[in-house]
Amino acid sequence: MATPARTSGPAIVEPAQGRGWSPAICALVSVAILWHLAAVILAPLSNPTPTILGDRLRPVFQPYLSATHMDQGYKFFAPDPGPSHLIKYELTMSDGSKQKGVLPDIEAHRPRLYYHRHFMLSEFYNNLDELPPPPTVPDQPMPELDWTRLSPSARQREFAKSYADHLLDKYGATSVSLVLEEHNIPPPQRVAEGLPLNHASLYRQRTLGTFTGEQP
Amino acid sequence: MNLVTAYFRDLYRATISGWNRFWFTPADVATLALIRILGGAMLLYTHAVWTIGLEDFFGANSWISPEAARGLQPNDNFVWSYFWLIHSRGALWAAHIAALVVFALLTLGLFTRVMSVLALLITVAYVNRVPSAQFGLDQINVVLAMYLMIGPSGAAYSLDRLWARRREGRGAPAIVPPSVSANLAIRLMQVHMCVIYFFAGVAKQQGETWWVGDALWGAIANLEYQSLDVTWLAKWPVLLAIMTHVTVYWELSFCVLVWPRLTRPLVLALAVPLHLGIAFCMGMVTFGLVMLIGCLSFVPPALVRRLIERRDLSVDYAADQDRAGEDRLAETLPLSQVAGRRHRDARFATSRKQSG
Repeated sequence: MATPARTSGPAIVEPAQGRGWSPAICALVSVAILWHLAAVILAPLSNPTPTILGDRLRPVFQPYLSATHMDQGYKFFAPDPGPSHLIKYELTMSDGSKQKGVLPDIEAHRPRLYYHRHFMLSEFYNNLDELPPPPTVPDQPMPELDWTRLSPSARQREFAKSYADHLLDKYGATSVSLVLEEHNIPPPQRVAEGLPLNHASLYRQRTLGTFTGEQP
Repeated sequence: MNLVTAYFRDLYRATISGWNRFWFTPADVATLALIRILGGAMLLYTHAVWTIGLEDFFGANSWISPEAARGLQPNDNFVWSYFWLIHSRGALWAAHIAALVVFALLTLGLFTRVMSVLALLITVAYVNRVPSAQFGLDQINVVLAMYLMIGPSGAAYSLDRLWARRREGRGAPAIVPPSVSANLAIRLMQVHMCVIYFFAGVAKQQGETWWVGDALWGAIANLEYQSLDVTWLAKWPVLLAIMTHVTVYWELSFCVLVWPRLTRPLVLALAVPLHLGIAFCMGMVTFGLVMLIGCLSFVPPALVRRLIERRDLSVDYAADQDRAGEDRLAETLPLSQVAGRRHRDARFATSRKQSG
């Protein structure tokens, strides 16, 4: 059988001619591969929900996972796509005037990736502690639930203060009030009937506090 | 007893042989080089966007104070970032500009080996400094940077290669010899993508809406994510349910169906609408694209060369098929089709000649 003509051009080194590694190197690299793959699988196996096996193995692999930033759960939109969370702020300036803003701000935070960075700030705050999931989205205006009165955890307080300190410094304000706003998702039937996605009944708020520069 | 012993002996030999073939077969660097260009460009863009609010996110009085960031893992000394050492505006901007230069050089393929190592270190330093501003994009960025570092990603489509060919003169081969490290990098990327999709699918099984079939509605009706209004799908609940189930079962089965040669093209083809849907309906273009860049690791180097260089390597890869087994066959599928078409063309030409 005739060999088909090769495409014209410079000499091509055939793939089969590539140089392999010695058995000793292969064995050594195999151990590294096994270690790495174990870490790759362990990370989502016990993140964020712990597992018995994951908890046992985690101390061994934690330094490697942390150093390489591989300690990820890869739980994109899981277990369920939930409501959004925004942080609204109101600054009080030294002359008594007020200035309002929100995280994220679709108009101010462009391009879209920059918007997402700000969006993650508010989502991260909400996810810092495992709050009980919101009830099934009601057809009626959202009732005042315990969610609005939940006390922030120590880590949430730390991040709220960090966000507040940044705003105070950036705008030179004397105080800033933060509010966490949850935007729920209406059921498809309601939207098909004409309910807009930004209807007032879909929002609820929780006050995070008022911060001044002097607070520890 | 002999049967059992023979079985385990064969199992052992087949496992060792398959393992070596999978990880240590030299491979053409074309796919890895393409991922370097696209992944490098994504790293460059991702970090260039930080320029808009560099001091807001990385400065002394940033959104996330160093204390808050480090407090997330108080007992973990291995979460590191060189931003902990940067205390002045000048140093911050210098470090940022240097990072952008590194990503640009990685994309262009200049001093690629060094740049790829630096790219990983820089990417990890950024994400660890702003833990509350990151999302899936950053996770995949780190994955890509890590494996680009392992293989010779600058051995094709790069300034390094251009430079080397100039130095070596006219006798220099157009394509560098296949290397084990190129294969290793691609294999690790492939396996990591399988792990990512598998656990993404498993996690969704814990959610009621993914099981019931209306989870996709929760994504498209989220106003803060929405960039393209497709809420008209509210009137098509069955279509929403089908899309939801396809998403979950595609993710769960990816790690199995992406390997056989017959199902690989279908599995990869499904990735395109899924990730572009996320990109354009939910405003997460960078995330959608970076996942597709990861999926590129399953595209055979021969196909990459054919698409980019219009170079037909079917001869070289046909010789490779016997040695590399089923998985290699999957990679050569498009070229086999090309070869088949040529065969048909040749027969057609012969019959026309005879009839004429």
